Amino acid sequence: MLSKNAQIVMLIALAVYTAVLFLLLRQKRLTLRYALLWIFSDILMLVLAVFPRILPWFAGLVGIYDHTNALFATVIFCLILIQMALTSAISGLSEKVKTMAQTNALLEKRLRELEERESKP
Amino acid sequence: MKTLVIIPAYNEEENIVATVEDLRAHCPGLDLVVVNDGSADGTAALCRRRGYPVLDLPVNLGIGGCVQTGYRYARDRGYDAAVQFDADGQHMAGYIPALLAPLERGEADLVIGSRFLDKEGFRSGAVRRLGIGFLSALARALCGVEVRDITSGMRAADRAAIDFFAREYAQDYPEPESVLAAGLSGLRIREIAVEMRPRQGGESSITPLRGVYYMIKVSLALVLGRLFRRRIGHAE
Repeated sequence: MLSKNAQIVMLIALAVYTAVLFLLLRQKRLTLRYALLWIFSDILMLVLAVFPRILPWFAGLVGIYDHTNALFATVIFCLILIQMALTSAISGLSEKVKTMAQTNALLEKRLRELEERESKP
Repeated sequence: MKTLVIIPAYNEEENIVATVEDLRAHCPGLDLVVVNDGSADGTAALCRRRGYPVLDLPVNLGIGGCVQTGYRYARDRGYDAAVQFDADGQHMAGYIPALLAPLERGEADLVIGSRFLDKEGFRSGAVRRLGIGFLSALARALCGVEVRDITSGMRAADRAAIDFFAREYAQDYPEPESVLAAGLSGLRIREIAVEMRPRQGGESSITPLRGVYYMIKVSLALVLGRLFRRRIGHAE
């Protein structure tokens, strides 16, 4: 089980985390679409902090001897999930940027041709 | 056949004029377009000054996105065939009619200019040849695509292949991947012998370290390409 101290530190950290998350969302510096995984992680950690009995139960279930290691494993899992979502988002963005750059070049050429035709007669 | 020559150019100030003049001398009947891939040097300005048609990408997309712009242009303007031709002076315009011949006869959708069919001209160093041989063997084993010089950037595409490349084209080091994708989607691929020169000026994009990345990336792309694509029967 988590020690009382660890539990208190965790709750304080989560309070700060939640506050920052809400601030960013309110200022629209974070789209809900990408914040969902952060919120999900926040809730997961909060559940673990408020109900400290879950952690030993989970550690026993998956065969982790030290309870704090189970906590770390959970955190790392959340981080990996968020990283994957970000990489996927970047891939999507670079595809969109590519298509737009190409369309821009094609349009620029058409415009240039139009201008040349206009200026001739 | 209304044919467009696509010339991808990234920082090719030193070579672009010679390349275009070579094309105009050997293939006067063909249209050409230089696709400037966000060059930092004066490539675009030079082309404008000399009146060459230019597609000017506002940012550097890399060779894949650059070439694909040319294929989209060919599709939009209704070209029957498109030839991909490097700006660095490695490719020889004299071989373009031979490259187009199988398309004109309707025997292939994609024709690749290969350095390895005849043992003539510049064929790059031993290490690179070994790498290319490995990738070609991999493509043959995975997909039955029979191409010796799978990294060749000199190729001719008919309407079907233009449409396909305009829709999807690999992004970095795209040549082997695009050949594989074309083969798996049922396009008929033919290879003909061409000579190439060593590059005339400027610097190659492939350094030894990038060579390692190249091999890993392309091998992986071939394996994944095989796994993810449904194979479509060749229409013969």
